[in-house]
Amino acid sequence: MTMLRVRDVTVRFGGIVALDNVSLDLNRGEILGLIGPNGAGKTTMFNCISGVIRPDGGSMYFDTHALTYAPPHVRARLGIARTFQNLQLWGSMTVEENLMTPMDALGRRNTFSDALYLPFSAYAERASIERARAILHVLDLTPYRRTKAGDLPAGIQRRVEIARALAMRPRLLLLDEPAAGLDAQETARLGELLRAVRERFHVSMLLVDHDMSLVMRVCDYVYVLDFGKMLAKGQPASIRNDPKVIAAYLGEESKKLAEDVETVAATRRDELPLLQVDDLAAGYGGLEVIRDVDLMVRPGEVVACIGANGAGKTTTLRAISGMIHPRAGRITFAGKKIAGASPEGIARLGLIHIPEGRGLFPTISVEDTLRLVSNTAGVEVDISAAFELFPRLRERGHQLVGTLSGGEQQMVALARAILSRPRLVMIDEMSQGLAPTVVRQLFEIIRVFREQGIAVLLVEQFVESALDVADRAYVFEHGTIGLSGSAAELRSDRKLVAGSYLGTAVDEAPMARANGNGNGHRIDPSLLELMSVRVPAKLKRALEQRAETEGRGAGALAVELLGKVDEQ
Amino acid sequence: MSALAAYTIIGLSLGGIFSLAALGIVLIYRTTGVLNLAHGAMGMFSTFVAWQVFYGWSHPFWPAWLATAIALLAGLVFAAALGLALEFAVFRNVRTREPVVKAVITIGVLLALQSAASLIWKNNQYHLPIYVVPQTWVWVMPGADVPVGANSILIIAVAVGLAFGLGAFLRYTSFGRAMRAVSDSPTSASLWGVPVSKVSAVSWMLGSLVAALAGILITAQGINFDTTSLTLLIIDALAAALIGGLVSLPLTVLGGFVLGLLETYPTIWIQSIGFPRLVALLVILAVLIVRNPRGFAAVAAK
Amino acid sequence: MTSTSKLMVRVALTLVAFTVLARIPAGFDVGFKFDAALAVIWAFGLLSLVLLTGYVGQISLCQATFAGVGAYGAGMMVSSFHADYLVAVVVGVAAAFALGVVVGLPALRLRGITLAIVTLGIALVFDRYVFQDHAFEWFTGGSGGWRVGEANVFGLRMDSSAHLMAAYVVLLALFCLVALLMVNLHDSGAGRRFRAIRDSELAAATMGVDLTRYKLLAFGLSAAIAGLGGAFYPLVAGSVSPQPFWLFTSLQFAAIAVLMGVRYVPAAALGGVFMAVVPDVLTRFGHGTFLGHQYDISYDWFSIAVGVLLIIQLIVLPDGVWGDIRNRVHHAWAAATAIGTRKVKVA
Repeated sequence: MTMLRVRDVTVRFGGIVALDNVSLDLNRGEILGLIGPNGAGKTTMFNCISGVIRPDGGSMYFDTHALTYAPPHVRARLGIARTFQNLQLWGSMTVEENLMTPMDALGRRNTFSDALYLPFSAYAERASIERARAILHVLDLTPYRRTKAGDLPAGIQRRVEIARALAMRPRLLLLDEPAAGLDAQETARLGELLRAVRERFHVSMLLVDHDMSLVMRVCDYVYVLDFGKMLAKGQPASIRNDPKVIAAYLGEESKKLAEDVETVAATRRDELPLLQVDDLAAGYGGLEVIRDVDLMVRPGEVVACIGANGAGKTTTLRAISGMIHPRAGRITFAGKKIAGASPEGIARLGLIHIPEGRGLFPTISVEDTLRLVSNTAGVEVDISAAFELFPRLRERGHQLVGTLSGGEQQMVALARAILSRPRLVMIDEMSQGLAPTVVRQLFEIIRVFREQGIAVLLVEQFVESALDVADRAYVFEHGTIGLSGSAAELRSDRKLVAGSYLGTAVDEAPMARANGNGNGHRIDPSLLELMSVRVPAKLKRALEQRAETEGRGAGALAVELLGKVDEQ
Repeated sequence: MSALAAYTIIGLSLGGIFSLAALGIVLIYRTTGVLNLAHGAMGMFSTFVAWQVFYGWSHPFWPAWLATAIALLAGLVFAAALGLALEFAVFRNVRTREPVVKAVITIGVLLALQSAASLIWKNNQYHLPIYVVPQTWVWVMPGADVPVGANSILIIAVAVGLAFGLGAFLRYTSFGRAMRAVSDSPTSASLWGVPVSKVSAVSWMLGSLVAALAGILITAQGINFDTTSLTLLIIDALAAALIGGLVSLPLTVLGGFVLGLLETYPTIWIQSIGFPRLVALLVILAVLIVRNPRGFAAVAAK
Repeated sequence: MTSTSKLMVRVALTLVAFTVLARIPAGFDVGFKFDAALAVIWAFGLLSLVLLTGYVGQISLCQATFAGVGAYGAGMMVSSFHADYLVAVVVGVAAAFALGVVVGLPALRLRGITLAIVTLGIALVFDRYVFQDHAFEWFTGGSGGWRVGEANVFGLRMDSSAHLMAAYVVLLALFCLVALLMVNLHDSGAGRRFRAIRDSELAAATMGVDLTRYKLLAFGLSAAIAGLGGAFYPLVAGSVSPQPFWLFTSLQFAAIAVLMGVRYVPAAALGGVFMAVVPDVLTRFGHGTFLGHQYDISYDWFSIAVGVLLIIQLIVLPDGVWGDIRNRVHHAWAAATAIGTRKVKVA
């Protein structure tokens, strides 16, 4: 019953103990969650299980096979597949080819017979194509069969990544932050997909992610790591209420930061706008991503931009800071027209952009990075002010920025922003990839900006926190502004907030009904037995296609047909 | 004992040459992110310009030192112009591409420069080099019986001086910081208000100047002055650069000396023109497989 | 298009190409025939890069070295061991294959620039040391190199002068065969595994591709292809020397392969012609008077052009000359066939 057994695994990187005698069990048919704050060691554990890192101590067993020394391709043969957080698709190959490659890598294929189209290869090739098509159908990817993987949008690419892992006929699927970068709606769909995949492909899963709603919704059992040690384990509901977990990971309830909001906003309401954007349109290559974008930031204001992934928030910021050239529209900053100007010139006017990924220099030390501010400000800047604000950086002064944790890097980026005394700071997804406690600390820093009279334009997925700290907000939809207003107004719009990450009460009851084939058809749980019987792929597909044309679930159709058989 | 000392001195002289050649490569890599395979060719071309001024255009009435100084100046001015031209015509358009692509572009620069030089100055086997210090200035080290040319000492001095000088410049000055930022991430640097184009131009000019200086001094030392010899030094220069991890200038110079010694000592037993190249290759393999200095993180990753 | 009909189209195209190209040098002098044969030999070298860099994504700056090993191996077999030329070719190819696998070993750990540096080192070591030092005279035939006279392959008499045409035809036939195999390889399972290594080694390893096996195989096969061309060099040129296989030839291979499009087989053929025929034609006919000035195009002009064109191409056309042509044709074809087809809704 126990498929994966990890016992007392220890991993050390130099002086740091990343994992300290961690053990876990994964049972057949389970979806297991592994969570923890940044730096807790979950990625390290993940990499140990998938074969990227060898542990310094402990052992791992997959069924009866010892995993410790097996290289990645041997683990693949044992039935362990994984997806990658940053998507390692084979971009120049079609989706179909992406799926076929793991299949034939695990079969017995031979270079010479392949090149000469010998009968064995041709037969294996046809079989692979069949299987690939079946998987694509289940995951709703058939229209993209012949598209190059590199040309697909990110959401589809994620499904392809999962499809490819499934093409290996794995018994265990390791999912590395599959919800990274997805908004609330997409994450919910992902959760449904994972459950459907488990039913259809009889695959057990180990899930590592930050997104609590996904983990709680989808997992049967959860392990919590903190500082390399096992902190807690149990069912999702009990984990959520465990005080240790709450303290370490979920953090305290968010304090309202809203006290000073009204004052500042009131005093400066009559000043001319610092940043004025009219009819902005911009895009990449041949695609137009945003159009008719109008927004405005007054001096000293904090303005939030929220909205789903792909709605155009990042593109807007990039067009303002000069990273991309706008196609149309006017951008005025402090009285100067800046549309189409170079990023360097715009930065020197006092408009700073902290992009996604933080825009730092991995091989330069923290101190040198902060000193770099003097270059751009034109005057010598006292970097000790930054260390007062972020004491944690003081001891890391000589460390290379690339070796810092995500939260610390964000601190460096914010420190730089403060030191350069800009007039407006644009921050893109400050909280991305960071644990909630760290995020709360960073949002506090926004207050410091406000105190110094620096205006902030904030793109955020944490809707609640963003609205807590902002004066006004714009809601982006499909490349333009859908909604705008004061933060107070928007906060009271329940529908809006419900779609966000932190505000929702986690759905305690897991998805009671599994999806028949991942594309929205629902089947009765009692039919799970039926559907889990191994039916030839062709037959299953025929059933599904027939069911679609009749507008009902495949399971229902199967039951009906079988019922008819029984009658005879 | 004196035989060993003699070989050591020869090895250190050779090492000086490697150090000077490697310095420029590491400098350019650290400030532009490009592994410049055309480095030797750039130095060669600038040296030819100096040669042209000295042997072709200098006035017969000028004293030797004046002609040399003018030729040197001409070579360096040309080198700066060459660096500037490369930044504006070539590298500013490929700032965001992968390191491998940029290295292949330097192959194109190499071929173009080499053939252009061959075209202009005819591909004769051997040209007379420029002597910055007279050949006759020689010092015999006591107990070793090996004469050490002043040029050789000059090379070593320049290599060590540049290593520490440029190293300090990169580490401690604000312009040096800006150069490092630009090579690390040009997009981030521009968002920080760093004038990327200007900084990059200075980086290439500086690198080209070092290449020219190296070319002039080295061709006076023992490496043939023709269109290909300086390029063929690339393997030894890269070995020294790798010992320095492609990051540390002083370690690169040290690496050069170590390599010089490693290539010279075997000649006690093995007389072969080509064998030292094998030594250089083995050093490269050893360093790459054993070490993983932080300069490699970007290099080895892609 | 099913894979069998695709295969038949490819075979047909190859046969047509062969018949057309085989006739071309017939009417010209020996010098031109030599260029043609050399073009094919260089095309083998470029083809080896298409496999290694284009398909598998491994950079190598020592392909001419592999060709040289093939050349010296064959020369040695003929001159020292008086072997049949066919046997000599096989030995040359085997030697190149072996060296390729050895060079592939560092590739298991290194990528990108560091791998390029190692192959650069290999090229220099062979150029300056192995091909020139008298410790290896048994292999290289001393300072003069091996001399090869007439040979008899497949019943055809061939040598470097009167019977050069026969050598050219055999070379061309072999090239067409290997090119066809490579195009098939690209779409096959093995080709997918190679391309997976190119696009993401990490994913390839995790999805079951044995990196060691496939990388070494790629290096070995690539070296063997270059060696196959090189093995015919002694026959076509009459003798072997280190000069044609020195470092700068390897660099030119890299430059021209990238210029023409390192992922495409026809680009290799194009590049071979470019390397061997164009400079010679230019030097022969490229002189005279233009607007009152005497001009004389020498090989150096060609080399400058390659360098400059490479730089321009990498900035503007990342896919290479052939790649760009092919993409335009594909787009035009797709646009043409899309007009006039109604989209049928799939139930």
